[in-house]
Amino acid sequence: MGTYIVRRLLGMIPMLFAITVFTFLMMHAAPGNAIDAMINPSIRDIEQLKEHLREINGLNDPLWLQYVHWLEHFVVGNWGFSFNFHEPVIDLIGPALANTLLLAVVAEVLTLLFGIPIGLYQARHPYSKFDYTASTISFVLYSVPYYILALLLIYVFAINLQIFPAQGATGTGPLAGTFIDHLYHALLPALSIAIANMAVYTRYTRGAMLEVIRKDFTRTAYAKGLSEGRVFTKHVFRNAMIPLVTQFGFDIGSFAGGAIILEGLFQYQGMGYLTITSVNNRDYTVIMATTVLFAVCVLLGNLIADILYAVVDPRIRYN
Amino acid sequence: MSMAPAMQQPSPVAPEAEQANKGRVSKSPTRLALERFLHNRAAVASLIILLLIILSAVFAPFITHASPTLQDLANTDSPPSALHPLGTDSNGTDYFARDLWGGRADLLVGFLGTASLLIISLVLGGLAGYYGKWVDAVVMRLVDFMMNFPTLLLIIVLMAILNTSSLWLLILVIALTAWPGMTRFIRGLFLNLREADYVLSAKMVGASTWRIIFKHMVPNIMGPLVVNATLTMANLIALEAALAVIGFGVQPPQPSWGNILNGAQDIFTLQFKPWAWIPPAGLISLTILCINFIGDGLRDAFDPSFER
Repeated sequence: MGTYIVRRLLGMIPMLFAITVFTFLMMHAAPGNAIDAMINPSIRDIEQLKEHLREINGLNDPLWLQYVHWLEHFVVGNWGFSFNFHEPVIDLIGPALANTLLLAVVAEVLTLLFGIPIGLYQARHPYSKFDYTASTISFVLYSVPYYILALLLIYVFAINLQIFPAQGATGTGPLAGTFIDHLYHALLPALSIAIANMAVYTRYTRGAMLEVIRKDFTRTAYAKGLSEGRVFTKHVFRNAMIPLVTQFGFDIGSFAGGAIILEGLFQYQGMGYLTITSVNNRDYTVIMATTVLFAVCVLLGNLIADILYAVVDPRIRYN
Repeated sequence: MSMAPAMQQPSPVAPEAEQANKGRVSKSPTRLALERFLHNRAAVASLIILLLIILSAVFAPFITHASPTLQDLANTDSPPSALHPLGTDSNGTDYFARDLWGGRADLLVGFLGTASLLIISLVLGGLAGYYGKWVDAVVMRLVDFMMNFPTLLLIIVLMAILNTSSLWLLILVIALTAWPGMTRFIRGLFLNLREADYVLSAKMVGASTWRIIFKHMVPNIMGPLVVNATLTMANLIALEAALAVIGFGVQPPQPSWGNILNGAQDIFTLQFKPWAWIPPAGLISLTILCINFIGDGLRDAFDPSFER
C-alpha cells in the first residue's frame, strides 16, 4: 500500500505540470496586466517606464522562460502579490483555504451522518411507507439546486428564526475568531451543500444495499444462521460501500464548485469567495493560485478515493 | 449498463393496444419505449408542466404587455399591484415579465448547451471508444486533465478572460468546459459495442467509420444517451442559474431566472419581498425537477430491466 501511494503521488507530477501550464497560459491570455493596473497613468514618459518595468520584471522574456520563472517561485511559496488586497497571495490563501476546508468537512460529515443511515433504513424496509416518502423527498431535494436551498435556509434560520448568521465566516463578540465561531458560521452554507448531497447518498446507499441483498453470499450468510443485524453490517453493508466510495471521490470536485457559489452567496471568506472577488477585480496572481489549488485538491481527492477503494474492497490489489 | 433497446421484450403494459393490433403490426423498440413512457404518470405530468414553462417563456410577450427591461421609474420597489402582478425591482422593471422572459435564457442554455455538449462528446467519445488504442489514450488523458478543474471555476475564469457577456458565448464556454463527463460516458457505451457482431459485419462489408459510428452504433446507444442528455440539460440549467446568482451568467438587463435571484438575495429583499425571489427560485427548481422526472421515466422506458 505504501509503495502504491508513493507511486501515485509521483504519477501526479505530469498532471500537476499540465495544470500549471494550462493555468499559466490562460492567465497570459487574459486582458490587462499588473503594470497597467498599478502604475499612476499621469506619470511623464509612461511608455518608457512601462517598458523598463516590463524589462526588469521579465515580461519581455519568451513565454516558456516566463513560465519557468513563475514555476520556480510558485514551488517555493512565492505566489506573487495581490494588487487588490495589497498583500502577498500566500497570506490570503492561508485563512481562505482553512475556511473552505472547514466548510467542506462539515458538509461531508453532515452528508454521511444523515445520508447513509437513511438509505440503510430504506434498504432494510424497502417499499414501506418510510421508503416511499424518503425516496420522494430525496428526489425533490436532489433536484432543487443547492443555492436555492441556501436562500431558503437563510430565510428560515437567519432571517425569521435568527439563530444562524446570514453571511460572513467569522462574527463579533467574545467568541469571535475561535473555532466555535468559525463552525457556527460554516454550518448554514455547509447544510446547503449537504442536503442536496445527502439525497444522492440515500439513493445510492439504498440501491447498492438492495443489489447486494440479492447476492448469493447474502443468502449463504442467512443460511449459516447469522442474525439479521450481523448479515446487514458485516456482509451487505461492507460490499455496498464500494460504490459509495466512488461517490465520495466525486464529492471533492463537486464541493469545490458548490463552495464557489455558496461562498459568494454567504460572503463566506473562503477560496471560492476569494476567487470571485479576484476575478471581478482582474487580480490574476490570486486567480492563478486558487485555480491551481482547486485542481490540486481535486487531484488529491481522487487519490484519497482510490486509496479508500483499496481499503473497502480487498479484492483490489495495487501492484 | 445494459443497452440495446433493440433487445427489449414486448411491452407488458399495453395489452389493449396489443389486442387492437392483434399481432398484425410489429412495434419498433422506440414505439414500445414511448408507450412505456406514456404509462409513467409522474413523467407525463412533468412533461406537461415543462411544456407549459417552455410555452410561457416562448410566448412571454403575449402573456404580459410589460417589458422585462423597461424601467417604470414612477413605481420602483412596488409590491404586487394590478399594474405589476409581482411587483417591481429597485429599477422599476416588472418582476412578472422578467420571470417569464427569463425562462428563455435558462432554457436556451439548457437546450443548446446540451446539443453542443452532445456533438463534442459524440465525436470525441465515439472516436475514443471506436478506435481504442492511442486515440482512446489521448482523449482519456484530456478527459482526466479537464476533470481536475471544477467546471464552475473554469467557466468563471474563462468568462473573465473573454471579458464579454453574450449568451451565445456563455453557451460555448459551458460546452467547452463541461464535455469530459459526457465524453467518458459515451466512450464507455462505444467500447461495449465495438466488438458487437453487427459492427464487425458492417466493418467487413467495408462501411466507412463515420457510417458505422453514426448509422449503426449511435442508434443502439440512443436509450442511455437520451437519458444522460436529459439529466445533463437539468444540470446545465442549474449551472447557468448558479453562475448568474454570483453575477457571472446572463448579464442584466437581459433577464434570466438566475440573475433575478442575484438581484434579490440581499436580506431586505429576502425578508420583505418574497414575490421577488420565490417565483424565479420556484421556476428553476420546478424545471429541473420536471426534467429529472422525465429523465427517470425515459430510463425506465428504454431499459425495462432497470431496477426500480
